[in-house]
Amino acid sequence: MVQINRKLCVGCATCIPYCPVEAFKKEAEERKVYVDEGICTNCYVCIRNKVCPVGAIEESSLDNFMKQFQHVISDPTVTSEGTGVPGRGTEEAKTNDVTGRYGRGEFGICIDMGRPGIGCRLRDAEKVAMAVAQAGVVLEGPEITPLATLMTDIKTGKLIDEALDTNVLSVIIEGKCPKEKLPDVLMALQRVEKEIETTFCLGIVSRAEQEEVSFFFETLEKLGIPKPFRGKVNVGLGRPLIP
Amino acid sequence: MTHSLHRFGSIESQRNDFVWFIYQSKGINDVDFEEKARRAITIAEKCGSENWGDVKLGCKLKCPVNEIVTNLSRQSRIRGVFTKREQVVEFLKEMKKADLGLSVIISGLLDEVLPSCEEAELTPHTINYSLGVWGKKDLLPEEDVLAVTSMCGHHMIAANLIRKKMEEVKKGRKSAEKAAEELAVLCPCGIFNQVRAARILQEAAVKA
Repeated sequence: MVQINRKLCVGCATCIPYCPVEAFKKEAEERKVYVDEGICTNCYVCIRNKVCPVGAIEESSLDNFMKQFQHVISDPTVTSEGTGVPGRGTEEAKTNDVTGRYGRGEFGICIDMGRPGIGCRLRDAEKVAMAVAQAGVVLEGPEITPLATLMTDIKTGKLIDEALDTNVLSVIIEGKCPKEKLPDVLMALQRVEKEIETTFCLGIVSRAEQEEVSFFFETLEKLGIPKPFRGKVNVGLGRPLIP
Repeated sequence: MTHSLHRFGSIESQRNDFVWFIYQSKGINDVDFEEKARRAITIAEKCGSENWGDVKLGCKLKCPVNEIVTNLSRQSRIRGVFTKREQVVEFLKEMKKADLGLSVIISGLLDEVLPSCEEAELTPHTINYSLGVWGKKDLLPEEDVLAVTSMCGHHMIAANLIRKKMEEVKKGRKSAEKAAEELAVLCPCGIFNQVRAARILQEAAVKA
């Protein structure tokens, strides 16, 4: 956990602009900096980069499971125990040429809750996960994506109650759906985006064949969703290649 | 993780911004990954990658290149940025020739990346499409700040720090290039494009 050693802090406020979620605050009276624990996501930007000129920012132990989860998910240098992958613990489309996680006739759903840079309470992640699960998304399990470790039921996306108030820099809801369910899933997202207190970035994974891409673009057009102009392209050089 | 997918800012400012990845998959093709990664890094450097790194060790602007290369492990994640389409094409051609068996991914504008694949005679396997930001968009910072924060997809670079750097450039306290490099070292993956960031900081200073 991030904390300020009050004996060392000189109140210079150098650290304040470095925090991605503005968790550093300055006391009115003593003019020292403190960490608002309700906002801090334990991303450790401040600790890793030694932003305090007098070394007053210190790390104390993460004393409960949710704090540990928050740190793993918010600090990309930490490896997720469940997936064995650093950087929030997921590979999604990047290795699809060798894993075949997303096949023809299905679409991958990657919902980056709290992005770009806003942060999110897991309560909102639960809302979105439940909405897409109900619309036909099969959510990925804990061996694939860290958020699933908090789910009481992978079929519904419901999270354990003690997780709901936890604040994270971002967390990914991952899953996939059969082609015919994609319109329902996107419509569910159009509804639930109005019910959350944060933002999310949406990525849809498709095999690169013309038939899949055409279906995807037609679906977007029908729903009034602008055609994407950015993408992450797996160029198919992994071996053994999943055809 | 989709940390290179959702970058923001004007289309024109994204045109010279490409993220490359070399990925192994545990239990499938991670044997001898360290050696293969070293070869891939050599190719990326030869093609002019402006920044690259390993999330565990840091980016090359922060950590000496030799140190990163020496300390690579089977779990390392290698990625970086190109600032020209020609670099992407050359990189893809070289990676195809090297035939390392690792997944190679390029993130960027589709009207730049897909023709680059074609030029390198590669057939894309899978595409993760960005459908942008949803939800409470009024929480987002101003466009030029968002263009810079989103170049570290894990959001290790705070909006307020970017505003501070913009102010320093505007007041002539430091060059846009220096300010951009100070921001780049906070992104441990090495996918922050300091060349594009310097341009955005400079433009913001002129506008102000």
